[in-house]
Formats: sequence, C-alpha cells, structure tokens
Amino acid sequence: MNRITSTLTGAAVLAALAMAAQAETKVAHVPGGPHPFFADWGPASVAAQQDFGLGAADYKFPQKWELNLQNDLLESLVTQGYNAFAIHPGDPVGSVPTLNELVGTGAPVIAVSACVNDPSDVAFCLASDAGVSAYHGTKHLIEAMGPGPKKIAHFTGWLVEPNTQLRIDGVARAAAEAGVEIVQVIADIDAPEPAEEKIGAYLAAHGSEIDGVITTAWVPAVVASNAMRRIGDKRIKMIAIDHDEVVMDAIRDGYVVGSMLQNPYGQAYVAAFAADKLRNGCKVSDAAPFGDHPLTSRFIDSGAPYINASNVETRAEVDKALTAELLQRVETDFLSCN
Amino acid sequence: MTRNLFQSDWATPMLVALTIGLLISLFNPAFLATFNLQVLLEAVSINVLIALSQMVIIAIGQMNLSVGALGGLAAVVFAGLMEVFGLPPALAGALALGVGLAGGLFNGVLIGMTGISAFVITLATLSIFKGLNLAITQAQPFYEIPDAVKSFGNETLFGPFPIILVPAAVIVVLMVVFFNRIPVGRWLLAVGGNAHSAELSGISITRTVIVAHCLSGVLAASAGILLVARLQLGQPTIGDDWLIMSFAAPIIGGAILSGGHVSTVATVFGVLIVAQITQALVLFHIDPFFVQVVLGLMILAAVGANQLRDLRLQRAPQE
Repeated sequence: MNRITSTLTGAAVLAALAMAAQAETKVAHVPGGPHPFFADWGPASVAAQQDFGLGAADYKFPQKWELNLQNDLLESLVTQGYNAFAIHPGDPVGSVPTLNELVGTGAPVIAVSACVNDPSDVAFCLASDAGVSAYHGTKHLIEAMGPGPKKIAHFTGWLVEPNTQLRIDGVARAAAEAGVEIVQVIADIDAPEPAEEKIGAYLAAHGSEIDGVITTAWVPAVVASNAMRRIGDKRIKMIAIDHDEVVMDAIRDGYVVGSMLQNPYGQAYVAAFAADKLRNGCKVSDAAPFGDHPLTSRFIDSGAPYINASNVETRAEVDKALTAELLQRVETDFLSCN
Repeated sequence: MTRNLFQSDWATPMLVALTIGLLISLFNPAFLATFNLQVLLEAVSINVLIALSQMVIIAIGQMNLSVGALGGLAAVVFAGLMEVFGLPPALAGALALGVGLAGGLFNGVLIGMTGISAFVITLATLSIFKGLNLAITQAQPFYEIPDAVKSFGNETLFGPFPIILVPAAVIVVLMVVFFNRIPVGRWLLAVGGNAHSAELSGISITRTVIVAHCLSGVLAASAGILLVARLQLGQPTIGDDWLIMSFAAPIIGGAILSGGHVSTVATVFGVLIVAQITQALVLFHIDPFFVQVVLGLMILAAVGANQLRDLRLQRAPQE
C-alpha cells in the first residue's frame, strides 16, 4: 500500500514539475551576429532570470552576421524549449518570416535594438530610434564645431543592418537643417580591418578638409576614436556612438566630444520582462502610446542618452536610471495584464 | 635585360600598381601625403601576410577557406593570453603562432591523410576555428593590450614606414627564398604542378601538403598578431573578411589556381593594387553602395591585364 502511495505521490510530483516547467518562461536573447554591442545582453539575461523568476534567460548568438545562421539558431532554440524571444533582427524584411514562425509556436517575440518592417507578428520593437539618435548626435557635433560653414564625414555600419540607412538619413537631416556639408559617408565598415583601412585613408587624405566626424556604428566609433588620438590636435570634433571603453577613454581625454548611447543592457532586460508577461496572459495594450518609426508602427523608444566629459564617469548610473524608467513605462503604458 | 624584366611574372602587377598610384596622385595629391602612405603601408603589411597564407596553398593546387578563421583565432589567443594571464607579448605571440601552426597541421593532416578535398576540410575547420574563437571571447574583444604592442602596431620607423612593415618584409624575403632556394618550397610547386609526377620523383605528397598548411597557418597567425597590434584590441571578428583579399592578391599576382605557379613578389604587388583601389574609393568619395562593385570591377580589370600579358607571351615565340 505504502509503495503504491509513494509511486502515486512521485508521479504527481513529476507531473507538477512537468507542468511547472511547461509554464516557465525560457527567454532567448539572440543578436544578428557576434558583435561587441551585445556584450551587455549576457549579464542582462542573468539579471532578468533572477529578478523576474524566469525558467531560463540565455544569450545565444550565431557564428556570423548572416541571416540564415540566425534563422537556423532560432529554429534550434525552439526545439530546445525556449518559448520567448528577444531578437535583434538580422534583416528588417528577411527576418520577418522566421519571426512570424516563432510567434506561430506560441512564443512572444520582441524585436530588440533594431526593428523589422511591418507587417509582422512581433509584439513590438524596443530600440533606440537610430535615426533620431543620429540626428541628435549630429546636432551635438554641429554645436561642438561652432558657427560658420562646416564640413563633416560620417562613418557608419553594415549597409544590410536595419538601422544603417536610418542613421544615414538622420545625419543628413541634421546637417541639412544647419547648412553643414557632409563631404563623405563611409559605410560597411563595422569590422576592424575595413574600418581601420578606410577611416585611416580618409583622415590621412581629407582630414585637413573636414571640421567634424560623426560615427554611427560601434567599430567605426572605436577606430575613429583611436585615429583622433593619433592625430592628436583635437581640431576635428567627433561624436561617437555606444560605450566601448576606447570611446569612453577618448571622451575623458578630450579627443572625442561625446557619444550617443543605446543602453543594450536595459533593452535586453526589459525585453525579457515583457516577453515573460506576454507569455503569462498579458497583452500589448490597445492604447499603447507607440512612437513613430520608419519601419514599424509598434515602436518603443528605449532612449539614447548623450554622454560627454561631464557625465562619462557616471555612465552606469545613466544606464541604470534609463533601464528603471523603461521597465516602468513598458509595464504601465504598453502592457495590459487584466 | 629589359625584356626579361617585362616577362617576369611580377612585371604586370608592378606596372598596374605604379599606374594606379600615379593616377591617384595626379587626381588627388593628398595620396602622397606621409600619413596616407603610412596608412597604405600599414594595410599592405598585414594584407600581404594574409595573401601569402593563401598563396602557399594555391601553390599546391588547393584552397584554404579557414585562413581568416585561423588568423582570427590566433589573434584572440594572442590578446587573451596577455589580458587574462598577463603573459609578456613575446611569449603570447609565440603561443599564438603555435596556434596557427597547430591549426595548419590539423588542416594538413586531415587533407593529406584522408585525401578529402581541401575545400571541404577547410570549410569545416573554418567553422571549428571560428567557434573556438567565439567560445573563448564570447564575441567580446580583449582590450588590455600592452603599450609596447600598441606602439609596435602604430608607430613608424621613419617617414611613412610603419614598424609592422619590418616583420612583413622579412617574411616576404623568406618566402621568396623558400620558393626559389629551399627544396621544400620547390616540392610545393612540383606537387601543385603535377602531383603524380612529383610522387614518381620521390616527393611525399602528404608531407608536402602538411608543410604547406602548417606554413599557411603560421602566416595567418602572423597577420592576426600584427592586426591586434595595429587595432590595439583583440576583436573576435578579426579575419572575418580576409577571404576575398587572400584570393584576390595572389590571383592578381598571376598565381594559377590549379597550382604549380605562384609568385611572392607579384602577390605583394597584388596586395598593393587592392590597397590602392580601396584607398582610391575613399579618396574619390565613391558612394558607399557602389564600393564593392567598383572593387570587383577593378580586380577583374587587373586580372584581365595579367591574362593579356600571358597571351602576348604565348604568341611571342611564334612571331
């Protein structure tokens, strides 16, 4: 009798555990490829799992920045039991069918740090507005250069990256408004070798002809920061993007004026929170105050704080405050959990 | 003498490189500025090692798709050993070269012992080396590069000549000697030219293939190490876009893809041509969306010029 009771109890416990496991949210944070921008997604996953009691939250990246590799990885993650996704889409249009398939399995999908083109089944896009950030960065550059006719160069990332064209347009808009001439846009250089070669060649030949540099991708920002340090005279003003230590040091030492941040930690952390809520009965609010974005009508601006010499030492606090504010905003304004 | 000079396999790439340099400097004198020449020579110093890494494999009639992945792995090992374990740069560099040698040995043994196509084997090992790179770095760069290494990668000896040109030049000289004076170098060309005849004359094909891949691995690792010094960080993406350069320069230099004929000096000029084209695209404000198109067209033009020279040489004895 005792044996039967223990067997039944054991079976009940196992069934309960299985049901609990089924109910647990397993979030996968998947970027388009390996890139230093996503360094904070790992710690954000760990923190989200602990803070929100998730079954799992893991940072998984494809070996290369190729759409088919990202798609393969996503399909593999579904079979591994992940049931919620925070994804930096590899392509604004090409990623949509795969993301729709993920949603079809019942997994909420949130586009993080870059958006996909509408129509799609993703819940929403949580990102810095790349175009607006580039626009404001250029405004800061124009202010730093001072009055008078000015010429600037723009160094940016992969042309296939969803945000690149938005950034090119944002810089062009700010420059046009101020009557500043963009003498060169160098794109497709979000890798060390081409960035080093092309930025070096450009500054060597045309450095004396320009007054400012705006960089809107991680690696060009790092390479251009080093180039500014190498040139050394601080005549050319530069606005960078993101928070690589090389850029932060260049701001501290006065070789770079400032940088437009994107808070990847906060984006990944809040996306995990929202994905868990969506899996557990919450819905995207009908009255959600989504922002304008060229690619999607379901855009949540995660902010793009500006860092310069005055606040570079308190960057962590800036990100922390931004993350807390974003979490509260997403929970109260964009999710409906009744 | 002049006829011999112009019949040499590096004459056409040299003339093309000189012509491109002349044209660019005529239209944009800034091309000859000291800083610009320094940037050009820095790019050439590293790219020549990448190209030679592929060239030794082309010499035996094979191809190595894992050049970039192996160079990238050696680069992050070099940077990682200095940052994580605090090893001195010389020891870290030696160990990174050892990684290149081991990776090349792995390629060579697999190809030589199994007889499976180098394309397939190196396609697989590309994935293995890249995977190891990402496993080590978690896709994040190593930043703590000693100042001595940074100086080595960014300072000049005099004028526009960067320090990193020295190891590159030494390696080029060694490669010229290797292919022209050392028996093993001649074996590589013999195996590439006609493996069956080479075997009948007592050359071990397996051993030669292994030697070629070991050499390729060490050259790729050298490029990775120099790139870490130049970039001042150990980026996990180092090597990702080496493949086109690694093939373009030897081909522009007249290398025959089926093996048996390569030229170290012509490959150096091939590297110079590609570097000049890349700079010209920047200097002349070419629309970023057309950069790849222009680069491809220019490489085709250089290859076409080389082909024209070969046709003329073939016709010459009949006249």
